[in-house]
Parts: sequence; C-alpha cells; structure tokens
Amino acid sequence: MNCKEAILFMHEYLDGDLRGFALVQLNEHLQKCPGCRNHFRQLENTDAFLQSVSKVAAPEGLTARIMQSLPKRPKRKSWMQWVRRHPAASVAAVFFFIMMGSFLSLWNEETELVVKGTDLEKVVIHGNKVIVPAGHTVEGDLLVENGEAQVFGDVKGDLVVIDGSYNLASTARISGKITAINQALDWLWYKIGQWFAVVSR
Amino acid sequence: MDFFDTRLAKLARNGDLRAFAELVDLYKDKIYQLAYRMLGNPHEAEDVVQETFLRVYTHLERYDETQKFSTWIYRIGTNLCIDRLRRRRASYSLDAEITDGDGLDGYDLLPSKEQTPEAHLILSETQERVRRAIDTLPEKYKSIVILRYLHDLSLQEISDILRMPVTTIKTRVHRGREYLRKKLQTEMPFHNFFET
Repeated sequence: MNCKEAILFMHEYLDGDLRGFALVQLNEHLQKCPGCRNHFRQLENTDAFLQSVSKVAAPEGLTARIMQSLPKRPKRKSWMQWVRRHPAASVAAVFFFIMMGSFLSLWNEETELVVKGTDLEKVVIHGNKVIVPAGHTVEGDLLVENGEAQVFGDVKGDLVVIDGSYNLASTARISGKITAINQALDWLWYKIGQWFAVVSR
Repeated sequence: MDFFDTRLAKLARNGDLRAFAELVDLYKDKIYQLAYRMLGNPHEAEDVVQETFLRVYTHLERYDETQKFSTWIYRIGTNLCIDRLRRRRASYSLDAEITDGDGLDGYDLLPSKEQTPEAHLILSETQERVRRAIDTLPEKYKSIVILRYLHDLSLQEISDILRMPVTTIKTRVHRGREYLRKKLQTEMPFHNFFET
C-alpha cells in the first residue's frame, strides 16, 4: 500500500466504512510510515474537533415568533382536491368540455344556408329565402338552416327551421310538425334525438 | 406506519396549528444550528429559520409523505443558506481585507458571534478556531461537513437532502476533512494544535 491509498483508507476509516483486511493493511502501513501516522492523527483530531463544536440553540421565543408570522392558510381549493382524487373522471370532464367547445364553435361557424329534404324540386331559393310556392307540394320533410322559410304551398312532412325564421301563408299546409331551433343546445338535442332515431331504426 | 414528524406534518396540512407548532419546536434548533454555522451570524440564522418554517407551512401540500420529514426540511433550510451565501458573495466579498485595518476582514465586522465569558477563553478559543475554519470552507463542502458533523447525519441522508449521489457526498466529506486539517494545522502551528 502506498501513502495515497493509505490516506483514502484513513478517510474510509473515519467514515466508519473500513472493515476486515483493509483495516489490517492500513494498520500495517501506519506502523512503518511516520508521515502517514502524523497525517492520520491530524485527521482524527480534526474529526474530534468537529464533533466537539458546541451546539447552539435557537433564541428564546422563536417558536412564538414563527407561529405569529404564518399567513392565513389559504383554504385548499376543494375542486383541486377532487381532481387529485378522481384523475379519470377529471380527464373525462376535460375531454367533454373540449368536445363541447369545438362542437359549439362549429355550430357558430355554420352560417351558410342549408336546405335538406326528400323532395327539393318544388322549392325555390332566393338569397337566404327558401320558398315553397303556392300550389306546389313538397313530398316529405323540409329542413332549412340559417335561412328564412316561406311556405305558400303544401309540405307533406315536418318543417324544421334552424337559426332562422319561417313564414306560413294562409294557403300553406304542413302535414307534420313545425320545429324552430334557435339555440345551440336545442340544436344539440335535436341532433342527438336524430341520432337515436337512426340508431333505433 | 409514520414517523412522529410525518404524522405532525399531515395534521398540520389539514389545518392543525398545534401540530405545526410542535414541528417548529422539534426542528427549530436543528435548522438554527445549520444556518448559524453556514452563515456565521445569529441574525441571518434566525431569518433563515423563520423563512424555512414559512416555506414548510405554505408548501405542506407538496410534502411527499414517503420521504422523511427531516430530509425535506433540511433540504429547504440548506437551500436557503446556500442562496444567501451566493447572494452575499455576489454583492460583497467579506474575505477582502480592509486596506488599513490590521488583518481585519469582513467577518470581524459582522454582528458579533456568541459572547463568550472570559472564564471559558481557552476552551472557546479552540472552538472559535474550528468555527472560523468551517466558515472558510468552500461552499460545496460546507453544507456537507455541517450536516455530517454537527447534525450527525449519515452520508445517505445527506445524499437525499442535497439530491446528490452518495459517492459525491463521500468525496466531499473527504476533501472537506483534508481542507480543515490543513487549515487548522497551518493556522495554529504555534499552538501545537494537533499534539496530544
């Protein structure tokens, strides 16, 4: 063992990590090397001095001062607590809100006139007016989105107006139901109802 | 099964102020000792203790119960001390000698350390020199030496507190010990400091 190794072993010894054969080796080296013996004594003394450094206690009344300095504890936000306890439900809720958000924004974007029906040949379109002329018959449902429906003739099915208005002339005859939808939520229910109708069919 | 302090921390988290006061009582001396030895100044040490407990209090939500409470609070305290040392070094070097004061440096101008009665002069002189030697330790050894020797913490605990590998802590303990050995030896050769 050389002196460099010996010094490393000394530190290991002072850490309490030197055992067995290494201990014997260090001891042997110290027996024959006065320089290392001196070094070892100095290290041991340093350790002893460090351990003898007197402990200081915190000043009187510090606990009271600390307790007084504490801010009013902010009430734990209960929804945060809930989120922490129900991660899956939280993710589902966030997902739902994002879906709703994009759904509603999509709904708001649709301002173009849309006309749907089974029998559109008889229908006349003027700007955003959808006209069923007098004496003509639409053989089925008529759906008008973002427009104005003016009915002078007959509609043999339902009339649905979304985000628009309708005018029925005295000559008009609607065999089915008239539905006017002006709100996103109504529209959503209508779509869901339709969807279920398709599914249940 | 929780340690006593972990249980107190949980109670404090749910708003139990008496549990928090018990935590303060349990740890104030330890953190004070740490800060006092790190910074060498009782006023700053008290500030650090206050700040440490304030942080513990406001961050109780973040305390991870699988960790020892002592590790967490020592980490907060140690980091606050290290921050102060860095700020101090950046703003004003205490080690710079004042030109015409005979060997006076910034440390002598700090608010006085513990007043020691004359009767304890001999004993406290040794103590004072050891303390001065600790004061001069480079920052990266200082916290480790203090935690190891003045707080009797194991290398593993220090490694958890400082979030450094145990091998790094070990190396730094060795280097710190060598540094102090040299410092104590060269500072007081006339004292035969190491003669027994």
